[in-house]
Amino acid sequence: MSLENILEKQNSKYEEAINIAKKGTHCGMCRFDFLGTGLCPSGKKYGFVAYWPQGRMQIFKNLMSGKVKPTKKLIEIVNSCSLCGICDKQCNFATYLRPEKVAKSLKDYTDNLNKNEFQDVPEDEILKGLREIVGEEWASNDPVIISSYIQTIIHPDSELNFYIVMPKSTEEISKIIKFANNHNLPFMPRSGGTLLACATPTVLSKAVCLDQGIIIDLLRLNKLEIDTKSYTATVGAGITAFELQKEAYKHKLRANLAEAGAHVCANIASTGITSTWQNRYGWAADNFTDVRIVDDNGDIKNSSDMDIKNPYTTEGGFTDITLSPPGIITEVTMKLHPIADDEDVVLVPFEHLKDALSMIMKLAQRNVGVSLIVLSRKYLSEFLCPTNQIAKDFEYICEKYLKLNYVVDVIGNKDDKKIVEEMADCIIDKSMIKTLILGAPKLATLKDSEFLKVLSEEKNPSKAIFAGPMRKHLEKGLEASPEQIAKVFDEDLQDFFTKVYSKPEMTDLIWLHSFRILPSRLMRQRLFFAQAGMIWAADQNKILKLIDMLSNVCDKYKLEHMLGFILPMDDGKYAFFEYDYYYNHNDPDAVKRVSQALLETTENCLVMGDILMVLNYLFKGLYRKEHVLYPIPKAISNDERALFRELIESILGEEFKW
Amino acid sequence: MVKFLSQEWNNLSKEYILEKLDPEKDLKNMTTSLLAVIEHVPPNDSTMNFYLEIQNGNLTDFTVNIGDKYEEKEAVFTVTGNYGTYKSILKGDMSMAVALLRGRLKLKGSKMQALKLIKPLDGVIVSLKEVTDEFEE
Repeated sequence: MSLENILEKQNSKYEEAINIAKKGTHCGMCRFDFLGTGLCPSGKKYGFVAYWPQGRMQIFKNLMSGKVKPTKKLIEIVNSCSLCGICDKQCNFATYLRPEKVAKSLKDYTDNLNKNEFQDVPEDEILKGLREIVGEEWASNDPVIISSYIQTIIHPDSELNFYIVMPKSTEEISKIIKFANNHNLPFMPRSGGTLLACATPTVLSKAVCLDQGIIIDLLRLNKLEIDTKSYTATVGAGITAFELQKEAYKHKLRANLAEAGAHVCANIASTGITSTWQNRYGWAADNFTDVRIVDDNGDIKNSSDMDIKNPYTTEGGFTDITLSPPGIITEVTMKLHPIADDEDVVLVPFEHLKDALSMIMKLAQRNVGVSLIVLSRKYLSEFLCPTNQIAKDFEYICEKYLKLNYVVDVIGNKDDKKIVEEMADCIIDKSMIKTLILGAPKLATLKDSEFLKVLSEEKNPSKAIFAGPMRKHLEKGLEASPEQIAKVFDEDLQDFFTKVYSKPEMTDLIWLHSFRILPSRLMRQRLFFAQAGMIWAADQNKILKLIDMLSNVCDKYKLEHMLGFILPMDDGKYAFFEYDYYYNHNDPDAVKRVSQALLETTENCLVMGDILMVLNYLFKGLYRKEHVLYPIPKAISNDERALFRELIESILGEEFKW
Repeated sequence: MVKFLSQEWNNLSKEYILEKLDPEKDLKNMTTSLLAVIEHVPPNDSTMNFYLEIQNGNLTDFTVNIGDKYEEKEAVFTVTGNYGTYKSILKGDMSMAVALLRGRLKLKGSKMQALKLIKPLDGVIVSLKEVTDEFEE
């Protein structure tokens, strides 16, 4: 039987598992304990991505497509999984997938293989050298293990000529880099991998993926110490945002952090930590008091060292094209912030972006609120709703019946809340937010109902339903309860999700903002690419023009798209925007269209001026924001525009047009 | 074929550029100079460099040296990377632009000027694969 026939036969047997594996997006939510289930025992013990649920899905996909052939290590990977079901609970919350079905199919497939079919992968001199640094079990050249890193640092079309190494300390990383340099091998660190997962299918893959060499997986650098006296936390590169926040909260402190699965050190290096708290807590080097870095020569430095060149300054402009970190951050001492006793949250609904923008900027300039953001109805729906379909229906209702396209989302103390209430036409309070989270499935069923049709005839439907006479009908009608929302999950998971949604934090928007477990839902079975950047906020009309431009380009390329959010920073002088394109990462045509939109919108933003695109500040998170943001970027000239195109052509090839 | 960075490679590369590359079409009549610093050269982990000077599209200097600079002249651009990176570029596996993007090459000099010249310079470097396929392992 030919290889193609064998693959075809397997593929029909494992169709359901293959479909699940293909929909996996490497959101990384299976690598930390955000639901109180405990961690995947296999991943915790062995560390490499291959042993975590996301890795098993990737390996299964690779085996079924013929990308990788079984090795003896595959048997260990399969046997390390006890089918305990933790992954199903975690993954179902975030992406509505059942990865355990893939693990079972992988086991079945492996059990039915002839023992002679497993390749034996010998140790070579490079692997031997790496093992001398980190220990026998923490370095590998096994193709199956390597293949689990596809999409989060390795491009799917790459050959699997890599080594993976999992150091435990900064000193080991230093030795690995010196070893790599001596053997002329490229290397790259890998943390959570989520940013790479979103970028890899796009044109950015050439810049962000490693083509060969040594992958340094930083997961084992798991130091986490809180100093309650200085309000700081010292965090190793293996620690996720969720894990740090959990420790900080125990002391009534809060860290300014990215999404739950993002590794703290990597996020500082990559984007400088963009969050709803940044107008108050700061951005880039505002967030830490010290960082420990291993540079490209393997030398260890601290930003607090007196004898190094200014570590907080950087070059700017579109000509600065390096898309890689200035070194590997192995440890950071983060600032933590006290949480006020009277913190509260309110959402202010808006039909038009210009009104929402005007309000958020007024609040930011007056330093009202500790967390400020304009969220689109798309984000609100994706975050609050447990499934894609419910999110879709929820969003439809917001747009068509409630005229709720944006919310200004404010967390602050009692005084802040009072100011917002005085400025707003109506607010959605904490209790109503809880009702919307638990009642989202029921609300979705009201799509096109008489109730909503009547409501839409009101002058301000949002006000009528959230703060007016119809509020009590909504509260009664939604029957919001943990039991109700749990019904949308598979029967065997309903008891578990009833307990999850009974926890106060799961409906507490302040907790959800701090721990950021909901953004993973943007990667629910499909990917998104965020076109993002900072725009000088003095001219709000320019921000609106920017959003129109982004929307028009996405329409041209027939993409599902919408503004994600806008948040102020630096006392409202700058606004950070994120505009998202959603796409099926398994569809090459969709990937191409996303890439074209990415390039065209980048070029348009450079031409508009006053905008610092994400590509121009990526990996500048270690620097002072003042050095990154200023001088305010000028619009590029026609000559520079031609140069930009030429540069892209020389990277991507002349056939890539937009 | 000759070994990268050897005297023979230097001579043959010079001949190749002078004979095969068109000053207008391939070298865009550019005037510039480039110092390529190659670190971790096997087998002794040494540093070497080659200096390339072009005036109005004509090659006027091409010299291989030991160390990280060419004492005689100062280049408009200095591009530093390790031996493995240059090997990938000369084999055509990776362009200079991509190497810069990935941080595998570090550039010193005006970025704007460099970007204007990167395409023809990349063409020059890649064309040298015609005279090189021998590298230290």
